[in-house]
Amino acid sequence: MEPEQRFLGVLGSSPFRIAVVYSLVFAFGAVALLGGVYFAVSEVVDGSTDNLIEAEVQGLREQVLVLSRSDFIELVEQRSQDQDVRGAVYLMVDPQLRPVAGNVPAWPKIAANQGKWIQFKVSVPFGDATREHEMRAENFPLPGGYRMLVGHDVQERQDVKNLMLRGLIAAVVLTMLLGLGGGFWMGRRILAQAGAISAVATQIMRGDLSQRLPVRDAEDEINTLAREINSMLDKIEQLTLGMRTVLDSAAHDLRTPLNRLQATAEAAMTGLAPASTERRVLERVTTEVDRMRSTLDALLRIALAETGTVAREAVDLSALVASMVELYEPVSEERHIQLESSVIPGAQVQGSRQLLAQALANLLDNALKFTPEGGHIRVLLRRAGSGPEVVVEDDGPGIPADKRELVLGRRVRLDEARKLPGSGLGLSLVAAVTKLHGAKLVLDDANPGLRVTLQF
Amino acid sequence: MHILVVEDDQVARDALAKALAEAGHTVEVADNGLEGLQMASSAAVELAIVDRMLPKLDGLALVQSLRATGRKTPVLILSALGEVDDRITGLRAGGDDYLTKPYHMSELLARIDALARRGDAGNAEANTRLKLADLEVDRMTRRVTRNGKKIELTAREFQLLEFMMRHSGQVVTRTMLLEGVWDYHFDPQTNVIDVHISRLRQAIDKDFDKPLLHTVRGAGYSLREDE
Repeated sequence: MEPEQRFLGVLGSSPFRIAVVYSLVFAFGAVALLGGVYFAVSEVVDGSTDNLIEAEVQGLREQVLVLSRSDFIELVEQRSQDQDVRGAVYLMVDPQLRPVAGNVPAWPKIAANQGKWIQFKVSVPFGDATREHEMRAENFPLPGGYRMLVGHDVQERQDVKNLMLRGLIAAVVLTMLLGLGGGFWMGRRILAQAGAISAVATQIMRGDLSQRLPVRDAEDEINTLAREINSMLDKIEQLTLGMRTVLDSAAHDLRTPLNRLQATAEAAMTGLAPASTERRVLERVTTEVDRMRSTLDALLRIALAETGTVAREAVDLSALVASMVELYEPVSEERHIQLESSVIPGAQVQGSRQLLAQALANLLDNALKFTPEGGHIRVLLRRAGSGPEVVVEDDGPGIPADKRELVLGRRVRLDEARKLPGSGLGLSLVAAVTKLHGAKLVLDDANPGLRVTLQF
Repeated sequence: MHILVVEDDQVARDALAKALAEAGHTVEVADNGLEGLQMASSAAVELAIVDRMLPKLDGLALVQSLRATGRKTPVLILSALGEVDDRITGLRAGGDDYLTKPYHMSELLARIDALARRGDAGNAEANTRLKLADLEVDRMTRRVTRNGKKIELTAREFQLLEFMMRHSGQVVTRTMLLEGVWDYHFDPQTNVIDVHISRLRQAIDKDFDKPLLHTVRGAGYSLREDE
């Protein structure tokens, strides 16, 4: 796998997707929780400051009624200097908004009647430098057109709120990062395990039944599953080997008497005159033995292909198809049939070269058998979808659509074919070999003729 | 040639022994693997025909043991099993050729001749120039001449001729050609090999008086100088 593909593979894996969903849920939870705390704290802090200011304003309002202007200014100045009330701000201005008393240098740039509560910034000394502080104040009129601001430095409060906000954002980001990172890690782990399992499964599908899924020394679900699948594979292997044994004994028990028959007939033939009746009878016997042998070979090959226990190798399909075409080209030329071919290079499949060759030979034998003189046979090896595809088509009579399924079964020969030689197992073998290679066999109309496609 | 036949089926063994004797060979027989292995270890045995399934010691084990002792005696394995994978196992065990039952005696005799020749003529493999009468084949330059005249052959016709030349004087069956030249192990229902041979015959025999490529009825073909 390419690194990029592996990366994308992890992103598509189920643990990663689950991790994404959970990260979002947790992030949402963090927002709700910390957000709630943030608003509650703001409410309390803001409310208590406002209450303090309200109380101070109330006091000053009472004082202004009883004190002379100069005494009031004195009072304001005094309050402004008072170190006990840290962070408190006062400003008294005349009708032209010029400062009269207080610890704020100038009336903030706001409209005079802009509501009761105002927020503004004031430069305050901070070490050697100054710093803009956020102030919250109540403004109210005094007798004689004078106005007054009473407020409080809320910068600290603001700082706490900002800190909480930053914490909130950090918590969300961290949740997301941890969730996604964990998901990615778990995804890779699962993907690695799944990859190992699917690699083995592919080998098993290809017929190597001795393969077992990797089991690690852990008690997780995947290992339990792998162990169970492995014991299932043990059973399948036993069954398949049993089938193979039955097949071998059947082959042995049928070939041995046939061999005796052949040997006896051939031995009896030596010394007989070429045209004698006895010799002709014996020749009939050996011809029948040959026929039985080829039927037996075909049946055994079909059965073998169906057990799936055939040894696999990398087969150069391009070379195979080209060489089969080359093998059949002279014979088709002799029969005045044009054998055309188009073969792409570099097509490879895993499988049995001999069985694939036999299947192709059967298709070509069939095509030659049914194509009339002057006809055409086309053999194609092309790329189609995910894998290569072999097409053999002729312009013979073809097979009626309703009988195509039928001919793939054992020993089905359509009436038209009965007078021609053959065991009737040709297409069954093609079907078995196709299945063995995990390919798909399609019969359709070549208009006119039959088109057989093997899709790998 | 002194041939050992290890076969437990009496009918097949007797017929085989008789046919080999008629073909001019001296024959020894064994009916089980253990006895077969003892006899095969003798230097007198020039070739062994071994059935695959034998009592006491399996045919494949026999061949493996024989090879383990360093004996290079050519071995033809006879098998009543299938051929797709079993042929490979047979050859891997150390067999030189593999024949599935039932077989034609002519096929077996042709294969035995080929095996015997391979035994004493490793030099034929190494020879770059093959010659039969006035037909010459240069395996390096792939140049073919007859009576000094150049003959044009396709790549496959050249391979076919080369194979026939290496087995000149012997009978070569259609199956041997399909195996030796194309590396396929099946019997095509169509006479594909015959047509390839007749093309080769056209090329090398057509313009000359004496034919070299002969058809051996009921068996196959032979490339030889007719006396």
